[in-house]
Amino acid sequence: MSYVAEPPRFDLNDPAPASGGDLVPGSVWRKYYRVWRVSLAERMTYRGDFLLGTFLRFLPMITTILLWQAIYDGSGQSSLAGFTYNQMIAYLLLVHISRMFSSMPGLAAGIAREIRDGTLKKYLIQPLDLLGYLISYRAAHKMTYIVTAAVPYGIIFFLCRGFFDTMPSGPVFLAYLASLILAFLIGFYFEAAVGMVGFWFLEVTSVLYIVMTLNYFISGQMLPLDLLPPFWVGVLKAMPFQYMAYFPAVVFLGKVQGPDLIWGLAIEAFWAIFFAVLARVLYSRGLRRYGAYGG
Amino acid sequence: MSATIETNELPASGAMTWRRYPRLYGRLGLFTLVRELSFRGNFLVKMSVEILWLGIMLAFYETVFARTNLVAGWAKQDYLFFVGCYFALNGVIETLFLENCNEFSNLVRTGDLDFLLLKPIDEQFLITCRRVDWSVAPNVLMGLGVMLMALWNKGWEFDTVRVALFGVTFACGVAISYAFMLVLTSFSVWLVRNQSLMEMWWLFSSLARFPREIFQRGWAVSLDVVFTYILPILLVVNVPSRVMVKAIEPRMVGFIAIVTVASLAVSRKFFQRALRSYRSASS
Repeated sequence: MSYVAEPPRFDLNDPAPASGGDLVPGSVWRKYYRVWRVSLAERMTYRGDFLLGTFLRFLPMITTILLWQAIYDGSGQSSLAGFTYNQMIAYLLLVHISRMFSSMPGLAAGIAREIRDGTLKKYLIQPLDLLGYLISYRAAHKMTYIVTAAVPYGIIFFLCRGFFDTMPSGPVFLAYLASLILAFLIGFYFEAAVGMVGFWFLEVTSVLYIVMTLNYFISGQMLPLDLLPPFWVGVLKAMPFQYMAYFPAVVFLGKVQGPDLIWGLAIEAFWAIFFAVLARVLYSRGLRRYGAYGG
Repeated sequence: MSATIETNELPASGAMTWRRYPRLYGRLGLFTLVRELSFRGNFLVKMSVEILWLGIMLAFYETVFARTNLVAGWAKQDYLFFVGCYFALNGVIETLFLENCNEFSNLVRTGDLDFLLLKPIDEQFLITCRRVDWSVAPNVLMGLGVMLMALWNKGWEFDTVRVALFGVTFACGVAISYAFMLVLTSFSVWLVRNQSLMEMWWLFSSLARFPREIFQRGWAVSLDVVFTYILPILLVVNVPSRVMVKAIEPRMVGFIAIVTVASLAVSRKFFQRALRSYRSASS
């Protein structure tokens, strides 16, 4: 089931400049807005596949619910590491939302490929910044995904509403949204920074596989980090990976509140800036080494 | 389009024909091993990822069993044996069949399937067994290692009957999984694209990762019935694991044997039916 969206229309008389010769701030924004709009249209082409894929992705949640039910029954306790059974399932559902924002499939591998085969030079000869282009592109893809997935996610969350004992207050919900947007930025710039390593090592997909596999566990996608031994809880909460899955979910559940919540968001913002700067520095340093292979 | 070309080089009798399959499979395995070793870096990375993945699974269950002694009636070492059995069985499937089945839709789309169908050999054998993915073969050993470690920690006493039954039921589990994959692969003839089919396989195999007992409560009982007796994917890891670390259930051992024969026969028929619907794309 797939619907073909209307192809994007380009108005040649549009006053937006085609070159970067007159880079007034408005035109820069318009340029990346165009990238975002084209990417949006591209992404909407296969929304039927989207719906099916999203439903399929949630099916393992059934076995996860049953497994945790068995774990709680076996333990004979109503709460494990401060999580009741309902909170545990709610957490594992919310992690899907976190990952919806922070996962960037193919980003690092794509950057590394463009470095390797020389197609990166298109960003050098056109008035287009690589990171600016990619973040516009990803933002459009994420937005489409979120809008398209709203129906299946809505149905699944409605069916699982019994696991959500309480809903966050207005300010907490705003903090949750902020944590998700920061999760998107951390996910984007982290992967972009990994991709930039391609300037020094031609093959980074292998490193990427290992990092992503490890990230699955240490970001709290499998279980809340609080269940781990105290030493590992300390180590993993000091790392940026928790902000890609764990942190937004516990914010929603109200487990981080008051000054801890503000402090948590500040640290999350720090990591977003850190990776943005790192990706930018690696890009500019990498360009000095860039050989533009590929003719 | 099923073709059998007879030449003077081919053995005349059926017995002779079947005897060449192990030799041919050995050659295909050797060829893919040589190819794999040409990319040793890739081999090592894929192996590292698999080791890491097993480590993550073990860390998950270590964390869980730090909080409870039993999960669905399975004690820690019994459960770890189950995890090892799943890892080994999945390793066998991925090593021998997954890559071949994944490739099938490409063969259909490009029309390259023609070349395979013209070969004087069984189509199902050639399509599903022509490549061995050696990079995931160590998973079988890793799974075996986890199983042995769990048995050692459990203080398991050697029992020939259990080991023999485990060998048989494990082979049955592999065969049933293969049959499932073959049916899903066959759909590629009609659908051409198989991405969602492989997602279906992933979903099926993710069901096999858990003991049946977690499904035996409330609304999940219907899932247990469906995936044990109608689409019996829950049998493939549960039966061999139970034979080794729980009470032997002759009824389930007999049942998995019957299911194996039936699923292999049905999947072969279905595959042949799919091939008859194949309309060569390129010619």
